[in-house]
Amino acid sequence: MLIKRTHQHSPRQGSVVESLAGQAGGLDRRSFLRKSGVAGGALAALGTMPLGSVRKAEAANAGPLTAGATVRKSICTHCAVGCTVTAEVLNGVWIGQEPSWDSPINRGSHCAKGASVRELVHSERRLRYPMKLVGGQWTRVSWDTAINEIGDKLQAVREKSGPDSVYWLGSAKMTNEGAYLFRKLGAFWGTNNTDHQARICHSTTVTGVANTWGYGAMTNSYNDIRNAKTQVVLGGNPAEAHPVSLQHLLEGKELQKANFVVIDPRLTRTAAHATEYVRMRPGTDIPVLYGMMWHILQNGWEDKEFIRQRVYGFDDIKKEVEKWPPEEVERVTGIPGEQLKRVAKMFATEKPATLIWAMGQTQKTVGTANVRASCIALLMTGNVGKAGAGANIFRGHDNVQGATDVGLDIVTLPFYYGLAEGAWKHWSRVWEVDYDFLKSRFDSKQIMETPGIPLTRWFEAVTLPKDQVAQKDNVKAVFVQGHASNSITRIPESLNGLKALELLVIADPHPTTWASLAVEAGRKDGVYILPVATQFECKGSRVASNRSLQWGEQIVKPIFESKDDLEVIYLMAKKLGFADQMFKKIKVESNLPEAEDVLREMNRGSWSTGYCGQSPERLKAHMKNQAKFDMLTMRAPKDDPEVGGDYYGLPWPCWGSPEVKHPGTPLLYNTNLHVMDGGGTFRPRFGIEREEKLPDGTTRKVSLLADGSYSLGSGIQDGYPEFTLASLKKLGWGTELTESEMAVINKINPANPDTVSWALDLSGGIQRVALAHGCVPYGNGKARMNAFGLPDPIPVHREPIYTPRVDLVAKYPTLPDAKQFRMPNIGFSVQKAAVEKGIAKQFPLILSSGRLVEYEGGGEETRTNPWLAELQQDMFIEINPADAADRGVKDGGWVWVTGAENNSRARMKALVTERVGRGVAWMPFHFGGWLAGKDLRGNYPKGTDPIVLGESANTITTYGYDPATGMQEPKVTLCQIAAA
Amino acid sequence: MVSFARFVRLAVGACALLLLIVAVPAPLGAQQVNPTASSVKEQQLLQELNRIQGRVSIPDQRSGVLEQPQGRQWREFHNVTLRWIGGIAIIGMLAVLVIFYLTRGMVRLESGRSGRTLVRFNVYERFVHWMTATCFIILAISGLNITFGRPLLLPLIGFENFSEWSLWAKYAHNYLSFPFTIGVVLILLMWIGGNIPNKVDVEWLKRGGGMIGHDHPPAYRFNAGQKAIYWIVVIGGGLVAASGYVLMFPFYTTGIEGMQLAQIVHSIVAVLFVAAMIAHIYIGTIGMEGAFEAMGTGEVDVNWAREHHSLWLDEQAARTGPNDGQPQPATAAAE
Amino acid sequence: MARMKFLCDADRCIECNACVTACKNEHEVPWGINRRRVVTINDGKPGERSISMACMHCTDAPCAAVCPVNCFYTTADAVVLHSKDLCIGCGYCFYACPFGAPQYPKVGNFGSRGKMDKCTYCAGGPEADGSKEEYEKYGANRLAEGKLPLCAEMCSTKSLLAGDGEIIAQIYKERVMKRGYGSGAWGWKTAYRETIES
Repeated sequence: MLIKRTHQHSPRQGSVVESLAGQAGGLDRRSFLRKSGVAGGALAALGTMPLGSVRKAEAANAGPLTAGATVRKSICTHCAVGCTVTAEVLNGVWIGQEPSWDSPINRGSHCAKGASVRELVHSERRLRYPMKLVGGQWTRVSWDTAINEIGDKLQAVREKSGPDSVYWLGSAKMTNEGAYLFRKLGAFWGTNNTDHQARICHSTTVTGVANTWGYGAMTNSYNDIRNAKTQVVLGGNPAEAHPVSLQHLLEGKELQKANFVVIDPRLTRTAAHATEYVRMRPGTDIPVLYGMMWHILQNGWEDKEFIRQRVYGFDDIKKEVEKWPPEEVERVTGIPGEQLKRVAKMFATEKPATLIWAMGQTQKTVGTANVRASCIALLMTGNVGKAGAGANIFRGHDNVQGATDVGLDIVTLPFYYGLAEGAWKHWSRVWEVDYDFLKSRFDSKQIMETPGIPLTRWFEAVTLPKDQVAQKDNVKAVFVQGHASNSITRIPESLNGLKALELLVIADPHPTTWASLAVEAGRKDGVYILPVATQFECKGSRVASNRSLQWGEQIVKPIFESKDDLEVIYLMAKKLGFADQMFKKIKVESNLPEAEDVLREMNRGSWSTGYCGQSPERLKAHMKNQAKFDMLTMRAPKDDPEVGGDYYGLPWPCWGSPEVKHPGTPLLYNTNLHVMDGGGTFRPRFGIEREEKLPDGTTRKVSLLADGSYSLGSGIQDGYPEFTLASLKKLGWGTELTESEMAVINKINPANPDTVSWALDLSGGIQRVALAHGCVPYGNGKARMNAFGLPDPIPVHREPIYTPRVDLVAKYPTLPDAKQFRMPNIGFSVQKAAVEKGIAKQFPLILSSGRLVEYEGGGEETRTNPWLAELQQDMFIEINPADAADRGVKDGGWVWVTGAENNSRARMKALVTERVGRGVAWMPFHFGGWLAGKDLRGNYPKGTDPIVLGESANTITTYGYDPATGMQEPKVTLCQIAAA
Repeated sequence: MVSFARFVRLAVGACALLLLIVAVPAPLGAQQVNPTASSVKEQQLLQELNRIQGRVSIPDQRSGVLEQPQGRQWREFHNVTLRWIGGIAIIGMLAVLVIFYLTRGMVRLESGRSGRTLVRFNVYERFVHWMTATCFIILAISGLNITFGRPLLLPLIGFENFSEWSLWAKYAHNYLSFPFTIGVVLILLMWIGGNIPNKVDVEWLKRGGGMIGHDHPPAYRFNAGQKAIYWIVVIGGGLVAASGYVLMFPFYTTGIEGMQLAQIVHSIVAVLFVAAMIAHIYIGTIGMEGAFEAMGTGEVDVNWAREHHSLWLDEQAARTGPNDGQPQPATAAAE
Repeated sequence: MARMKFLCDADRCIECNACVTACKNEHEVPWGINRRRVVTINDGKPGERSISMACMHCTDAPCAAVCPVNCFYTTADAVVLHSKDLCIGCGYCFYACPFGAPQYPKVGNFGSRGKMDKCTYCAGGPEADGSKEEYEKYGANRLAEGKLPLCAEMCSTKSLLAGDGEIIAQIYKERVMKRGYGSGAWGWKTAYRETIES
């Protein structure tokens, strides 16, 4: 037999290195280093929680090893878990990926996507240079030409139709800095038509959750789920959508011997590991939750003291819950009463219990109400504001939380300040521009303070009659930077929009389905594609789902002619003539704004959300010292000189200026901690008292402030409203403000400085003083079970627009038609027509959609990556064996799927599986590049077509928009399947 | 008693019906499972099916087989059983022939050469025979190399040389399979007329083919021994070709068991085939005087024909008439 | 020396395919070659489990036993490797392998197979450790660098364990004891003729 020649010291020479770096052979790729010290620590960890891989006497914890190579860390761009990516770079080439053992979030792990991100910057199929469509042909142009022509066209549209006729569609893929600048670009251009992916993933969460207790984000963290005794996943499939989070979920389940309940229409990969799987009918989340609450109230399992101290509107909910006895719940959801009782008991009595959700709850016409009902269930059982509890809302894109926070949105300026005059004035102070200048950019002050058009309906904003779109004119131009078009429902109708546009600009690493569908729609010109770098080619901060900010380094320079997002934004601002104003306080070097400086500007204005303490220096120190943070608490030892006492990534809110050294807030609303240790309270955001009508016609005033509950060490041991200069003075703390702080406050409102609040005080003084007294700057209020002000203040079950249960529509109809976000929402009429036309008979199968682990979003980027594309080569639809047998459909055979609107049809493969129950079909939503059986490969610029193409799920999806956010409804509609 | 039995049957029937009803998937929901408690177990699956198979998303569906320990049996066959079968068949045949040759020697033309010849195989027939034969020899050697090369040849010539040789042998084996197969088909077609077994064969076999002593049982163009070789070539050749193509186009037509089975059939038939062909070569060369000429020049001495294929000679004589008695000097050189 | 093994904890595996793409990434494995794959048993049914599988580096490896040219060898770490210079692409190792590990690039005419390719346990091949030739033929040699296979190192849920057999068996045993269930060390009995009692 041969025996392996062994060398202890072994350089590695990769062929990649040679071919890409143009190096002659002989360069050591890596040299061997033994890190015995690290190994000891890793082995010690074995006792508690096993590492993935251990070699005898030496854990493979060797980090950067290649001679001459540098190690750069960035964040994976494929979901919001926030996995650190460790890259080895040699001579400007990314030569290898190593496990990021030090990250407390992913601890070395990745999923299929994370383990293959290196390919993104080597891809042969990336866009190489700007292109424009000339006579139906893609033609190369220079960046200068492209920017000039685009800018001129935009100005022309502006002059003719007003600034609102340009739709600025940004991206959750951008860094905070990019997303912030993109929103700022919209503001300086003069429109609120600035949106990004959060609209179609968690806009309903943000609205519903913020309306309940103050902030619309995940309350705890992935790591903290390890503390839960009961984990309930309702409307999520983290095993495929957030695989690395399962590390925490499953280890938590094992260590705590926790209940792991999955309630879902599909037996997902997550459900396969559940201790209890509950199959429900799609679109019945509210009855499921009320069904649980019915058992909770029936048995007195609710947390009465918590409700008394910290919850408003309990009695209103009780009344609604009474309408959902087990029989009615089973009739609507299909879940037997006994099973739901068991789940309810676990949830309410085996605490802490957490509720995990993602787009299963949010992507519905009742999305906002769904997440509200989830919050209510948590409040009822006292499962908020504690370790192991909370609303663990798994966000989708790597920076969708951040992009939402920085206000790349139609309803608010950065950091949830809203669109009212006060908000605009706040930001004009931060930006050091005249409020009047900003106002002059808009068509009117009224439209300046009116929410824009949600991206879900961009094409209707183009095609609807002018009088139905409540702005000066229809949308005429779309500038999309980093957003897929196939993620948006009703693709057949979007073709009309694509055709009617005067200008379409696609700034992206890939042409995306915007390009292929624009050609398919018959466009011959007026389309530009700008190559934008991936985030691995840019630096900046990103926010993981748990609100931790992580600073990503630039791993390699943008490839080909790609440009950084920030540079593209700057070039547009320059061309449009307001760069000097927009970048007044931001350093710009050869057209590239400095990310650190952008973050500093954000720090200066983001008091409302506590983004004020996360200076670039602190974030970089965190990345450097990742290993020091505890895996469970995510906190660094207090004595560390650089990051002592901080929570990893300074999860917002991180109050005060960076000098205050607030450690970040790992769990929101946690009264068991001092605010300077990350403690908090519910935010009284909706007034301090409310007038309630009583049955006898009289009214009474009910306080919305907490009752006897306060965070540890609070200077005020009861509920209190937000801090203003006036309230500080009243408490006798006003004198603690320094002179310079007072000077800033006086400048903000010279006429009445007393009204200056913690959120507007640019000096941070008010926050500093409140914190010094152990008080939370925003106040201490009650969470709202009754969220007055929302379309459904008390969540109400409403059948999906297209439901197979037409018998339930009369009792549970969708909301009446109304005008929302400058557009009519005619959901009620559509639902009514569907029932009358007997659509459910023609299309008897419920169609739902979701995520595959190999792909992300619209999928063009991941379908271009051969390492991923090989694993999913065909678009498919899951169908139950019984339904398949009825239709003569075979596993792996081709089928035609037809939809309830537009005579839509799509050709794909059948996956016959019991994952879906009878009467339910399911499609992944990542495919694109086919339309109604036609392969559109030829529509892509040559050489940029993704490896795998397929029908888009959204060819089949239908009408339906959440009244509070404009969220689409791709999770429940109807379809029919026939063998092809 | 009878009524009790009926009752039991009814009860069982009712239960079964109930089960059926329960088994029909509920329209939606109504599923109570604890996936952890009921997870699949490896050893149980192996005991039930002797393989574990599941779903994979990549197109290569055979990668859906997670575990198939029956590869062990195939390994046992390949490394042990086959070597025994092959060894015994080939070495055994060689041994028998050596003993036979030593005891019997070459079967002589008892009546000597007449000097007159007649055509036994025409050019076409000889071409087909030699094409097939050449291919067969190369296929046999390259095939045996796969089974016996590692213990026998590798130690002599070393890893690199053996691997290099084996690689070329593999190419040869693959490519020559085509002419070989064509040859087998042509042999089947062109000689099937003379190879249908008949009564004469029974007599011929009874007399042991005349191998013992100096007997010359009558035979038509092909005696029973030659017919046996014909059928070995046709059937054996057919089998090795068919199983060989299954191996050459892996997984086009079958799964892993099929591949293993194909290899087993291919190798067993092949070694037996080789053994049979050794006997054929023996008889056609040093085993019998005057036999090689039949495939060499295509013409045999009339006396040879009279001794070994008397009935065929009669047929030929009847067909060509009295002229057959004429000497044909030109062929004498072909000896 | 250590006796290297793989162990996939099926109660942790979620078919995320990180092991598969980590392998592709580390070794630049071409399209169509799957050194590692994840198989889901009882898909969509209660009790469904996914298992990541590659070459298990068997004790008394069947591939090595049946190889006509004897191109396999076992390293001091008990990793089963082979020489692509010697391999003739006959496919016998695939027939003998219980785990479907050997892969063949399609080259030449009809079903003709190229040199066999399989999981190297990130330990390269017969060429000098870390050499360019080794990288091109077999991929990276992490073992020589004191690291373990990237598939296991990057496993999303720490389901796939790699390392010395005794240590990973210990880790698995502790896990099973702590959580109270386990579906066994998949493939161990077939590969190593032993399993983990738990």
